[in-house]
Amino acid sequence: MSFLIMVLEQGLIYGIMALGVYITYKILDFPDLTVDGCFPLGAAVTAALITKGMNPYLTLPISFLVGMIAGTLTGLIHVKAKVRDLLSGIIMMTALWSINLFIAGTSNVPLFSKDSIFKNSVMDQVFAGGLKRYRTLIIVAIIAIIAKVLLDLYLKTKSGFLLRAVGDNDTLVKSLAKDDGNVKILGLAIANGLVALSGCLFAQEERVFEISSGTGAIVIGIASVIIGTSLMKKFHFLGTTLAVLIGSIFYKACVAVATNWAPPWAVKGTTAVIFLIILIVAESGKAKVKKHAGA
Amino acid sequence: MKKKTVATFLVVAALVGSMVGCAKTEGKDANKESYTIGIAQFAEHASLDNCREGFIEGLKSEGIEEGKNLKIEYKNAAADAATNAQISDSLASGKNDLICAIATPTAQSTFNAAIDSDTPVIYTAVTDPIAAELADKEGNPVGEVTGTSDKLPIEAQLKMIREIMPEAKKIGIMYTTSEANSVSAIKEYKKLAPKYDFEIKEAGITNTSEIPMALQTLLESSDCLTNLTDNTVVSSLPTILDKANEKKIPVFGSEVEQIKMGCLAAEGIDYIALGKQTGQMAAKVLKGETKASEMPYETITEPGFYVNLKVAEDFGITISDELKNTAVESFTEVTAN
Repeated sequence: MSFLIMVLEQGLIYGIMALGVYITYKILDFPDLTVDGCFPLGAAVTAALITKGMNPYLTLPISFLVGMIAGTLTGLIHVKAKVRDLLSGIIMMTALWSINLFIAGTSNVPLFSKDSIFKNSVMDQVFAGGLKRYRTLIIVAIIAIIAKVLLDLYLKTKSGFLLRAVGDNDTLVKSLAKDDGNVKILGLAIANGLVALSGCLFAQEERVFEISSGTGAIVIGIASVIIGTSLMKKFHFLGTTLAVLIGSIFYKACVAVATNWAPPWAVKGTTAVIFLIILIVAESGKAKVKKHAGA
Repeated sequence: MKKKTVATFLVVAALVGSMVGCAKTEGKDANKESYTIGIAQFAEHASLDNCREGFIEGLKSEGIEEGKNLKIEYKNAAADAATNAQISDSLASGKNDLICAIATPTAQSTFNAAIDSDTPVIYTAVTDPIAAELADKEGNPVGEVTGTSDKLPIEAQLKMIREIMPEAKKIGIMYTTSEANSVSAIKEYKKLAPKYDFEIKEAGITNTSEIPMALQTLLESSDCLTNLTDNTVVSSLPTILDKANEKKIPVFGSEVEQIKMGCLAAEGIDYIALGKQTGQMAAKVLKGETKASEMPYETITEPGFYVNLKVAEDFGITISDELKNTAVESFTEVTAN
């Protein structure tokens, strides 16, 4: 049981990041490496604000906004300075390392003695007794679902349609007399807002900021998106954003199974094999619906 | 009526049982009981591996031996924060009597995961438990968590370098900006250096690929280099030594393994000994002699002086007999790792 709770907690925290990666990687077709710096950016902002005594709930929107700024900068570098997509992400990721160190003050900021969105006097009362072990999971799930619903709603707006159009067919966007560059920047901003929000949750759940916590985040994100969208092809009713969240949970389950039952040296290899099996199984039934382009 | 007698009998039996149990744990016959522990290690790394090895030895010296009365579940996070969090959660889910956490990020993560299940956490290779908030300002545990610190004996190191290189002015140090342990060590080096008439030249890196350039800069500007326990830098030590030897710049180490590999000398830590000390602390907690929350964290009792005489000879540096005699161990050859 605790195994399942752990997988769901971690899966949903990283699932919010995967929603962001879904926007860039799948909708915009933009391999955005900003993520590796933006995830700890959310954590750094959170740690700095909580240490200064700010209400932990306020760190959620603030992290999101700070993440949006980072995404905007990546977008500006790409669109205005005409730097290639991959490279603009790399530039931003590199810069964020120093920015994160500056914001947090040091490479490791513990928050054990501070309140968090999970642990504070109000939450301790709400989640008393048997509910206590589900506390983190319930709060994370609520935030993840809010993020998912808001993203769904946004994608249905006019601006959201344009966003989806840029990835599929940017000439269409231009023919509508819209600047596809601005749409890209907006997409990157929202995506990185979600990534930073996920970092904010991670820092509060682990109760520590660690500068290296973002290393490899983009790999987790892309893997989750791929698992999610493959599952979607079999289970159409899921809807893409929900599928991405589930993909992230599946990915975390792969890692958890590997770390639990494989010897330490074989963990990564086992993760890779399980990951591959999931993909093959998910893809096996979709031959008849070939090429479901874009979202 | 009958039920009552049975119940009374059971209560008495339980009481006697627990008393016998107490008597046993207080005596040295702990072999009857059997324990399950989890070991969480942050990365594959010689020093951390030594900690783990020492820890298991330390437990053994207290009569708790793997395969006899001890089951060990060992997990390694391969330096990945996300995996680290998952490992801590799974080890702390209640099945273990104790968790040993090796290195700062793992200690923090395990402590956080174990708070609710009250599983004691014994950490090692944490340089500054107070900064990591694993201990309060007085050094007392903040919960069921205690262990050993691998804080470098920096003052002793500076004094030793001054003795071996009376003319040296500048000490170069390379460190990874993401490693909290290194950052706090650099601060202390800078604070203490003027006392021994040294100036510290630092070079911060973020990953292995940046080492060659940082090294070049340091070698140009320093009279000698010294190592921290920085994981990234120490992993690339053979390359560093090779370049430094070419430029005839001696490199001082921070623990015994580095001296074996070709560093000149160190006032440093023996991680196996540190692990042993930690294992003995863990044994006390397992046997119920004391609680983790009642045991302040410990540092290595005495720094040891280690010297590689072959390296000294290559550099034409003479180590005084006086100093030689204080060495815990001296080496006469360079062994590749």
